[in-house]
Amino acid sequence: MGTLLQQTVNALSLGGVYALLALGLATVFSIVRLINFAHGEVMTIAGYGIWWALLLALPAPVAILAGVAVAVGAALAMERIAFRPMRGADVTTLLITSFAVSEIIKVLFQNGISARPVPIVLPAWLTSTIDLGAVRIGMISVVSIAAVVLALGAMALLLRRTPLGLAMRAAAEDFAVVRLMGIKANHVVALAFAISGALAGIAAVLWVAQRGSVDPLMGATPVLKAFIATVLGGLGSLGGAVLGGFVVGAVEVFLQGFLPEAALPYREAISLSIIIGLLVLRPDGLWPAANVSRS
Amino acid sequence: MRRPDSGTLLLLSAALLAAPAAVAQEEYVIGVAAAQSGGLAPFDQPSFAGFQFCVDEMNAQGGIAGQHPIRLEVRDTRSDMAETVKFAQEFVDLGVNFVVGPADGDPTMAMGQITGPAGIPTMTFAGTAPILTQVSDYVFGSYPADNQQAAVLASYARELGYGSAWLLKSPDAAYTLIGPEYFGQAFQTLGGTVLGEGSYTMNQPEFSAIVTTIQALDPQPDVIVTWAWEPDFPAFIRALRDAGVTTPVMGADVLDTPTVRGLGDVVEGVVHTSGGYAEEGSAHADFNARYLAATGLAADTNYHVNGCDIVGMIDAAVRAAGSTDPSAVRDALADLPETQGIMSSYTFAGTDRMPLRSVVLARIEGGQKVFIRRGLADPAIIPAP
Repeated sequence: MGTLLQQTVNALSLGGVYALLALGLATVFSIVRLINFAHGEVMTIAGYGIWWALLLALPAPVAILAGVAVAVGAALAMERIAFRPMRGADVTTLLITSFAVSEIIKVLFQNGISARPVPIVLPAWLTSTIDLGAVRIGMISVVSIAAVVLALGAMALLLRRTPLGLAMRAAAEDFAVVRLMGIKANHVVALAFAISGALAGIAAVLWVAQRGSVDPLMGATPVLKAFIATVLGGLGSLGGAVLGGFVVGAVEVFLQGFLPEAALPYREAISLSIIIGLLVLRPDGLWPAANVSRS
Repeated sequence: MRRPDSGTLLLLSAALLAAPAAVAQEEYVIGVAAAQSGGLAPFDQPSFAGFQFCVDEMNAQGGIAGQHPIRLEVRDTRSDMAETVKFAQEFVDLGVNFVVGPADGDPTMAMGQITGPAGIPTMTFAGTAPILTQVSDYVFGSYPADNQQAAVLASYARELGYGSAWLLKSPDAAYTLIGPEYFGQAFQTLGGTVLGEGSYTMNQPEFSAIVTTIQALDPQPDVIVTWAWEPDFPAFIRALRDAGVTTPVMGADVLDTPTVRGLGDVVEGVVHTSGGYAEEGSAHADFNARYLAATGLAADTNYHVNGCDIVGMIDAAVRAAGSTDPSAVRDALADLPETQGIMSSYTFAGTDRMPLRSVVLARIEGGQKVFIRRGLADPAIIPAP
């Protein structure tokens, strides 16, 4: 029972990071129909931002804030430099653009800083543990879950209680009509990228805290998982992205924890098979967007 | 008969003067396929940097065997297997004398399947899987093999009184898969018990589920052993220690990096193997000083010095062969007796082309690599490849 509870905490912790990333992907996709595979590199940039801030001997909380701020800046710069000139291009062109941005950033980090990961040592209290009866939970897991709840709550408030959020939700429903209503497209798109950057920045903080280092390829795997989560949840659906993130995290953790030893090397294949099975049952995703359109 | 004019005489004189020089400066062409980007770049970049540095030093002394200037044909594999194979074919087409491939067994084996049948000796920058030489008689290792490292580590684990071990491995690379298995075999030969094993995917997002599995083990192992590298090892050790598990952890040479040592308290006491240790006054320390002086960069991994040793190995083989003919060099290299390198001495004689080199044991203390000892693996417990 203790192990099951502990693995549930692990699943929530990992699923939360996936949910943050998936929500960032879905936010941008819902407005500009772009699956931004350079989203993982925003996360990497945030990681290096934290590393750089710590090198400057800034206190850890300031370094963490700096990492998130750098991620927002990077996402905005990405939109302005790479994606705005491609506005109106077809989905394939946008996809290839995002891959190009991703590769350029990776190579710049590999050759500009180091191909090797750089260690990041966060405050000792983050590495402590909490004993809850038979269960010993790492502080990082607790912080991860709390950060995810707070971030998702703030996102919900922004979308539902502010004019900007209303504009974004409207843009996600029908971008052309929103423009006809006099709302500036550039502002809405930039806001979507800024939000996705902030979410990637928060995910990066949790990721770096759990992994202890940042490297040029850090964002590659998480963005792939986040993409799977957005598809599973329902492409373009913000709620679906969050749900998809938690489902993907839970599937991964429980398979890792409870598969027999001999079957462990097949974990990834089994995990993807389960997700494909879910998509066969619900082709539009677990929580599809209202205006779902599949290519 | 028409007398040659002065211009023709000048040309003839120049040609006669240049001819002996051209013979004396027959180039030795080495094809180098190394990743400057992608997952192997952390290992290939320093290996190539050390290699290039010593090629330059050797060329300043006249080149290979003092008479063949080295010309490098360098290609960036981008850690892509298809690119690596493509470059192997390109090297064959170029007719290079020698090929140096990535610091991992899998791409080296892929290269060897092309360069081997073409009769070009091929050496990995730092691949340690002993099976890599089985792909062709022309393929060579350069670093102490995994089974040698595992035997040395297992002996030390038993000396420390560890009776049981738990292994963490990944099927994604020969290195991460068979290294812990070799340890398990040597450990059991010495009377230890392997309690179980876990499996991870390279670049796996999290290790907390594996850590929870370890926490649930009853009895708990005396030691956890893994051949995981960056960034997986930092993620694993972080998750392990954050969960309050204090079981000692041992690993392989790939932990010998400033990144791992910089992880703070979580790596305190981690024991790992290594290819070398720069004792004060040693050739290794001298190499590090020369490299720093020339480049302004620290040679902060053993991959640098091993890259340099590869240049020495090729030089020793060409000298022993008395020829640059690839087959003659291959034969001479395969029979190379005990030769003093910079990181350590080595021999290929009597081996299956994985060099017999001493293995260093080190412990991480206070963010520093602390020397434990250096020695050869006991042949009686070295697992078969």
